[in-house]
Amino acid sequence: MIDLDNTSFDRCIKCTVCTAYCPVARVTPLYPGPKYSGPDAERMRIKTPFLADSSLAYCNNCKRCETVCPSGVRITDFISLARSTRLKKHHRIRNFLLSHTDLAGFFTTRLAWPANFLLGLGPVKTVMGLFLNISAKIRFPAYASGRFSGELKAQTRIQKAFGEQVLYFYGCYVNYNFHDLGRDVVAVLNAMNIGVIAPAQKCCGVPLIAAGNLARARKNANANIQNLAAAVKETDQKIVFSSSSCILTVQQDYPELLDMDTSAIDGHIEFITRFLYKKFKAGNLPALKPLNLTAAYHSPCHLERTGGVMYTIEVLRRIPGLQLTLLHSECCGLAGTYGFKKEFDTIAEDIGQPLFRQIRATAPDVVITDCEACKWQIEAHTGLQVLHPISVLAMALAKS
Amino acid sequence: MRMNLNNSTDYDCLIIGGGLSGLACGITCLSEGLSCAILSSGMSALHFSSGSVDLLGYFPEATVVADPFDALPRFIDMHSEHPYARCGINTIKEALSFFRQEMAKADLPLHENHSRNHFHVTALGTLKPTFFSQQSVFNQEIRSVIDRTPAITIMNIQGFRDFHPGLAAANLKRHKLFSACDIQCAEMHLPEKEKNPSPVHAMRSIDIARLFDTMDPDEIARHITAACPDGDIVGLPAVLGIEHHNAVLDRLREKTGKIIYEVPTLPPSIPGMRLDNALKSRFAAMGGVFIQRETVEKGTIADGRVTSIRTKNQNDTLTAGFYVLSTGSFFSGGLVSRFDHIEEPVFNLSLARSPEARCLGSENFFARQGHAFLSAGVITDEAFHPKTPAGETVENLFCTGAVLSGYNPVNQGCGGGVAVATGYVTGRRIVRDFYAITNQRQGYPDLP
Amino acid sequence: MKHIETDILVIGGGATGTAVARDCALRGIPCVLVERTDLAAGTTGRNHGLLHSGARYAVKDFESAVECITENRILKKIARHCIEETGGLFVSLPEDDPAYHEALVQACRRADIPCREIDASTALAMEPNLNPAVTRAVTVPDATIDPFRLASANALDASERGAQILTHTRVTGFLLDQDAVAGVRCLDRCTRETFKIRAKVVINASGVWGQELCRMAGIELIMFPSKGAMVILDYRINNVVLNRCRKPADGDILVPGDTVSLIGTTSRRIAYEAISDLRVTDDEVRTLLKEGERLVPNLSRTRVLRAFCGVRPLVAASPGETHGRNITRGIVLIDHQQRDQVKNFITIAGGKLMTSRLMAEKAVNLACRKLGENRPCRTAAIPLPGSEKPISPGVRALPFSESVAQSTYYRHGQRADDILEDSDGGTGLICECEMVTSREVAYALKHLHVKDIVDLRRRTRIGMGPCQGLFCAYRSAGAFIEHRHTDGTDATKMLIDFLEERWKGIRPVLWGDTLREAEFSYWICQGIFGLGKTVASSPGRGEGVCLADEFE
Repeated sequence: MIDLDNTSFDRCIKCTVCTAYCPVARVTPLYPGPKYSGPDAERMRIKTPFLADSSLAYCNNCKRCETVCPSGVRITDFISLARSTRLKKHHRIRNFLLSHTDLAGFFTTRLAWPANFLLGLGPVKTVMGLFLNISAKIRFPAYASGRFSGELKAQTRIQKAFGEQVLYFYGCYVNYNFHDLGRDVVAVLNAMNIGVIAPAQKCCGVPLIAAGNLARARKNANANIQNLAAAVKETDQKIVFSSSSCILTVQQDYPELLDMDTSAIDGHIEFITRFLYKKFKAGNLPALKPLNLTAAYHSPCHLERTGGVMYTIEVLRRIPGLQLTLLHSECCGLAGTYGFKKEFDTIAEDIGQPLFRQIRATAPDVVITDCEACKWQIEAHTGLQVLHPISVLAMALAKS
Repeated sequence: MRMNLNNSTDYDCLIIGGGLSGLACGITCLSEGLSCAILSSGMSALHFSSGSVDLLGYFPEATVVADPFDALPRFIDMHSEHPYARCGINTIKEALSFFRQEMAKADLPLHENHSRNHFHVTALGTLKPTFFSQQSVFNQEIRSVIDRTPAITIMNIQGFRDFHPGLAAANLKRHKLFSACDIQCAEMHLPEKEKNPSPVHAMRSIDIARLFDTMDPDEIARHITAACPDGDIVGLPAVLGIEHHNAVLDRLREKTGKIIYEVPTLPPSIPGMRLDNALKSRFAAMGGVFIQRETVEKGTIADGRVTSIRTKNQNDTLTAGFYVLSTGSFFSGGLVSRFDHIEEPVFNLSLARSPEARCLGSENFFARQGHAFLSAGVITDEAFHPKTPAGETVENLFCTGAVLSGYNPVNQGCGGGVAVATGYVTGRRIVRDFYAITNQRQGYPDLP
Repeated sequence: MKHIETDILVIGGGATGTAVARDCALRGIPCVLVERTDLAAGTTGRNHGLLHSGARYAVKDFESAVECITENRILKKIARHCIEETGGLFVSLPEDDPAYHEALVQACRRADIPCREIDASTALAMEPNLNPAVTRAVTVPDATIDPFRLASANALDASERGAQILTHTRVTGFLLDQDAVAGVRCLDRCTRETFKIRAKVVINASGVWGQELCRMAGIELIMFPSKGAMVILDYRINNVVLNRCRKPADGDILVPGDTVSLIGTTSRRIAYEAISDLRVTDDEVRTLLKEGERLVPNLSRTRVLRAFCGVRPLVAASPGETHGRNITRGIVLIDHQQRDQVKNFITIAGGKLMTSRLMAEKAVNLACRKLGENRPCRTAAIPLPGSEKPISPGVRALPFSESVAQSTYYRHGQRADDILEDSDGGTGLICECEMVTSREVAYALKHLHVKDIVDLRRRTRIGMGPCQGLFCAYRSAGAFIEHRHTDGTDATKMLIDFLEERWKGIRPVLWGDTLREAEFSYWICQGIFGLGKTVASSPGRGEGVCLADEFE
């Protein structure tokens, strides 16, 4: 039976713009495109509930279709729901491993060095490719020793001493792989007399949604909403996110796709660059030194989807000495866990080529992007250093 | 990079709607040093346009205009509510010239026929008057050889469902200009596509355009020649590439020795996308911020001024020195129709037609006069300031393009022209008013 | 002048006429069918598509009810690919008279119509989109039937077994042999050719047009045309047929029909002269939507695709009948030899869509008596082409995707095997909204008596989805050129005619996303294609247009 809350396919006027901009449809003839998989097929699925095209698996959840749709159709919701409820589940173990990031992170951060070593070994990758269908071409991001959550919790007293505080949803990448970004966030905010507090949090759930495991995603969502709501209730603080995919998932997928009630936290969630933009405008701009750096900014698909790119650009523009080129918007191809899956790894590579060409032609010192997956993908294919906007800002902080 | 010249607002100029008129306005503002952002609710109507700019195609009703600037004075006399009447002919000329320059800087040269209209051939073999066209659609070369009755081949690419030479050929033959020509239909093969026939993903214009961008043009030329060795002129559907279409076209003409031209067909419109890309890249290169996915839910008006706007996606409040509403017609959501009324959803502006008006369609789909919904829209004053339902003029808000009432873009053949002219004149007014208010540039030239 | 000889000539290509042709063909009797426009273009193609359980008539018209339930069972066997066994509910809302519910249940029991009384929560579990204010309901074995498929399958069977199906052929006069009808004079509206058909027996199955037809034979047959309007919603907002449990009134029934839902109907007497120029009024649209919302509240948020109307071919059973709803809908079989002293001429009228097979049986039985034949009717036993076996739910037809395969089987039953295997038809979709492949279109053009794109729509559902033909019309015009070698000018005319036909149903509901779609379509058709500036569409269409423009 149809879910009456999402009848946005009804608004589709068949303009085909979504399919024109779908990066997956661009590179493989095996994917019919979002118009077909979403609003067209949904009218069929209402009639025949068990119906689900096997081609649905190809959607990489980049949401560019929704970004470009002039009718406001929530295309990927239909695709995700149909995938999770009706497609036969393949590669269960692989998908479990790739989507249960908290679980994986629990072990790997305790054994970071051996984990990183093994994951980088050729034969291990071959075995993973053969038995788990994990792409041998992809380099796993390195795991850090210990978790960022611990590091931040240890600073609670210091952070509480600042003039005001924000809550920080750091996400799995900062927590398990790249503490430096978390440190940069803290450094920048501290320089603005703002302390950073970490509420209890789980993985936002986006890899679970991509794997079609909506039940588990709802569990995580529930825990996150409860924890964040509790934290916000006492303090009425903002909750800042540094990962564009995390914030998209919490702000949009939680209420729209997973049907969760986010009213307790809705008004508090902000992407870090929006938070900073508002503070800068109000006069709270940290002392910055000129950077003398040429950079190319790549806007992540998920940040485009939330309309949040404006704030990142305006924050970057306030960094003196940063010569910024805005890259024409393209999908990098990795799409979170998508490119790690062997059956999609060539597609992921092919998708990213126009972006990589653009970057090479621009020849910047660094590439800037808000998404960790984009970072891995661009680093792997261009060899350039890729930084989060906050990290660039952190670099520009004048020493006091 | 540019900072706001006036730091208390987010942008000097905030444009709601990222179509042809919004981008034209934005580029105009940026060219004079203002900071500017455009909020767009997805992709614009350019994606199903012909990619040409129509200035004035038909006047009086259903009669083709050969010289728009010759016809405009009478046209404006008869249509005092038309946006052209409010722009003035000199401004229209300026706008078109500026637009063309800017597109040239974005690598999209636009061609015109000595300030007169030229025609482009449609997929149904009719001739449509237009003012600016891209190289591949600009047919003056053909016009000049037509007296020698060349052999014309209308050619499809095998497997492409969205173009049928037979339809074009049949109707083209009936035209006086082409009646003596030999018009044939043909089909060319693109082996790349045939290697991977997919019943799951059928070919659209965009797929073929990407092939043309990446394949060796010499090889494509060979396939064209193989399909019609004898044609002097070859008409293909508009798929000659997005990134490299100019280079591809030149090479194909050179290698085949034929005049090759494009015929716009079903969406997605490749020439339209080229125009869209050129506008956006120009806008970005000049420092503009273009947000592809943001809907302005509501704007607040107090004492005849917009004080702020509220965004839906980000759920944020933004402010600007000047606001421009370029939200388009019903397709783009600039006008919303419900069972028993129509409305402008952002500011609830006054509309030309009684909002309770139903039956916005004519008796026949192809009625000569078109349909009332095409000319629905907001009413404005001479400077394109709209009014609230209470009758108050909103001083810092301008309206441009298809959200305006008083014109019929299809049946008058003036859609692109209105978009460009109103976008440009609004941009100039904003610049003038801005500098007047901030006193930053004395003696800024007055606008008409 | 060319002429055709046959035993039985049937005039009218609706459900009844095509059933007659099939019945004759199955009995091995030579038969010709002539139809003024296209199969199911009349009332057959303009109704709810409801395969009544009979419950609706059980209260007032017991005979009809029994007929219904019997034919219901037969059709479910022989026309299974035309039918969807959705089940139905008679739903009571707080404002409805409880007495009607009681009367309905009793009448069903008397007529042997299986029914069950259920409470509100059970009803809501069966149909979650139902108005939560429902008080109670009755389940009935309603189903839906696609009248286009039925007529098409009848005609296909008939022609495969030797009958001649001549569509777009108008009867211009009768050949009279003193006091007997000997045949007709016809005009082929496509070729403009006139010819004669000589037949031993002529059967009038032309529905509401029977009055003017009979007049040509000097016979008076009074019809009481009653207009019924219907509004189509963009998608299936209900999965079971929802009937209002009250005395029959406007907007009583919400029927799921393939990918859409239809809310109907109304009942307005109209003048006979108006039967060929029917309009849906604002009032009717308003009423239907209002009543529909009572059944499914979410209807108010649903896109309305189009509105259409049909004419009930109500025949005066006896003089003095004036009220549309209560004139008997029973089957009227007239032997004009007895009634009007005109030999060899039969009229079969009245009835409804689901009794069409029975009507044909009665008519052909009578015709056979006149011919001195006594071959038995076999139509109740032999399945229609495509209905031989039930379609398995997960049917797949590589290399097509699951949704496309399912749609094709849904429309053509078993015949979809042949359709999807024919690689000559290419691999793309002609209609993306309804998932109609180019192979299905090629098949229809070859086998299903298709003369233009409007006919094609009836056989395949192109243009019946949200875009109302924008893309598929153009692609179909191309298909005509490719498969039928149709002249480009004729194909252009077909395209225009088709779009004007779609427009007639869109105009009364021009708001919301339907208006957006129409604006989009108009921009493409006129802005990009310049269609309105090509050769004029068929005469009498309204706006004559000039040829392609002059340029110096």
